Amino acid sequence: MLLTLLKRELMIARRNWIGLAIPVFFFVMVVSLFPFAVSPDAPVLQKIAPGIIWVAALLATLLSLEQFYRTDYQDGSLEQLVIMSSPTLVASAKIIAHWILTGLPLVLISPLLGVLMQLNYGVGYDSVAEDHTVVLMLSLLLGTPTLCLIGAVGMSLTLAANRNGMLVSVLILPLYVPILIFGASTVTASLENFGYNGQLAILGALLLLAMVFAPFAAGRALKISVS
Amino acid sequence: MINSGLFASDLTVSRAEQTLIEGAELHLAPSSITYLYGENGAGKTSLMRCLCGLLPADQGSIRWNGKPISSSDSNYFNDLLFLAHALSMKAELSIMENLHFYAKLRGVNNANGLIQQAAQQLGIDHLLARRFAELSAGQQHKVALCRLVVEPAKIWILDEPFVNLDHQTRDWLANTMMEFAKQGGVVLFTSHHEIEQLTIDQRLSLEH
Amino acid sequence: MASNWRWFHQLGSPKWFFEKSAKWLPWLWALFFILLGLGLYHSLWVSPQDYQQGHSVRIMYIHVPVAALSMVGYVAMAIACTIGLVWKMKMAFAAARAIAPVGAAMTFLALFTGAVWGKPTWGTWWEWDARLTSELLLFFLYLGFIALHSSFSERNKADKAASVLALVGVINVPIIYFSVKWWNTLHQGYSLGTGGVADEFKPALFIMIAAIYVLFANLVIMRLRAEVLLREQKARWVADWAKGSEKGVKR
Repeated sequence: MLLTLLKRELMIARRNWIGLAIPVFFFVMVVSLFPFAVSPDAPVLQKIAPGIIWVAALLATLLSLEQFYRTDYQDGSLEQLVIMSSPTLVASAKIIAHWILTGLPLVLISPLLGVLMQLNYGVGYDSVAEDHTVVLMLSLLLGTPTLCLIGAVGMSLTLAANRNGMLVSVLILPLYVPILIFGASTVTASLENFGYNGQLAILGALLLLAMVFAPFAAGRALKISVS
Repeated sequence: MINSGLFASDLTVSRAEQTLIEGAELHLAPSSITYLYGENGAGKTSLMRCLCGLLPADQGSIRWNGKPISSSDSNYFNDLLFLAHALSMKAELSIMENLHFYAKLRGVNNANGLIQQAAQQLGIDHLLARRFAELSAGQQHKVALCRLVVEPAKIWILDEPFVNLDHQTRDWLANTMMEFAKQGGVVLFTSHHEIEQLTIDQRLSLEH
Repeated sequence: MASNWRWFHQLGSPKWFFEKSAKWLPWLWALFFILLGLGLYHSLWVSPQDYQQGHSVRIMYIHVPVAALSMVGYVAMAIACTIGLVWKMKMAFAAARAIAPVGAAMTFLALFTGAVWGKPTWGTWWEWDARLTSELLLFFLYLGFIALHSSFSERNKADKAASVLALVGVINVPIIYFSVKWWNTLHQGYSLGTGGVADEFKPALFIMIAAIYVLFANLVIMRLRAEVLLREQKARWVADWAKGSEKGVKR
């Protein structure tokens, strides 16, 4: 059942791939604004890079939520899915699809942003061990699924609301703060040559916690939205 | 207590702070077609959505073959086919893919033959590979009706299925409904006009 | 046990609550003013100055109580939401809706008094101190609840959706608090000593906390009464009450 639902999400997304590329463009563009706004100096950029990249990833995830939920709600598919399957499964399929199609691309494109933001400034060419890009990717790999999970709850709650997309941001952003703190500090710790395993472990713990609660809460929210 | 078909007792349904139905009892027996009518805003759609388990009732119980619809052993949601106003098809997918997905959710794995057959009956078999968004409104409506043939179900709840249909398709739908009822199916539908081709077993009227 | 359940059901009846709360309120207000008077006397005259902060330590007597109530309020709201979702009790939803703005106001006061206190102690209106930052995020959570609740045309949906949000929020509150605290130690921000409150400050603080608790309860009850009238506007007893109050008859 979950596979059928997931396959449908991916098939619809494939036909609409420009819509999926937009969050990734957004991610790259937002980050590339900062050298203009702050300074193109490598040490300065390197210092703010973890925070900037993480905030951009968070906003890109938030902005891409809409297309996975809104049309299904509007064309009546959502109520069919809720009747014919279980709301929790429907939510799970959407969360997985959302992560595969936006979270994962963000992780994969982040090395490019590392280059733009001089993340490896002062690191020798051949020292793979000191490569901060890997740490950035790891932190995003563990953090973005949690962003998708929490985002799913917020999005599902606002489907039936008569307000625009800004509402979901207001609900969700405060809940994103812990992930932002640990995500960005993982990379910062690596830049300052400290251990970062602890931060990664907490990101993993937050992910597990969200995996337990979020699909259920999002399913419940979908049910409320179609009632 | 009636143990066959869909039986609702002491049912109170409200929407937007307005009580639409209060303490109603209704029984949709197997092999019967029920016509639900009433003015706009009387609550036909809300009642249907309540019977589909979408809109929670304020009060009362709804049972399918004697078991509460929300319990898993009633198997109600596998037996139910609900066609709403919204056609519930994805614009990006082809007709075939849309219908195939719903069939798959029902556990029908080889639906191609059935879809072909349904599309042929409705005269849209040449459009199966086209995307849903490319079809005319009438053709889109026919795609939704194909679900009646493709998906196995024991109860149909149809919200305004006859609206915007040409003569041929109306006849087809009426016949399909009667055939389904003959085989033990339960049908509940709404319509603003009498459908003369249809033998109706029960009439329910909703008033303000 | 049986009597406990009767109490639960009575509280669930809007009419019962509306009639009884009218009798409670004068007493509760009286209690509040007595506690406030006592609390102000203690905090402004009896309690000493702080040897470092001087008179500005007295801001604590309002800051700490409102900060405590801002958190208690959120938890109370989440409990009301749980009762509403699980037992489908409509009064619980109404209570959650009534608590939200009062809690948000408490949170705002905590932030405001925190800033006022910050100026003389830290030399700045705002410091990214762990507790102030958590308080700010709590304020956002309250605003989210209110924003979501007011975004639906149907009250049923609004109640349920906002309740799910409150539950997700309440799971997150401790996570937010600990992550902010951790983040704060990382950046070595300023923080007021957390070694606890010296004994000579305690009487005034406790009386003020009690006073603010009662104030919170009063405001919630008043809001809930308004909420009940709004939600039960079609009920007979509300119409009767409205007629009675028009004629000036004692109600």
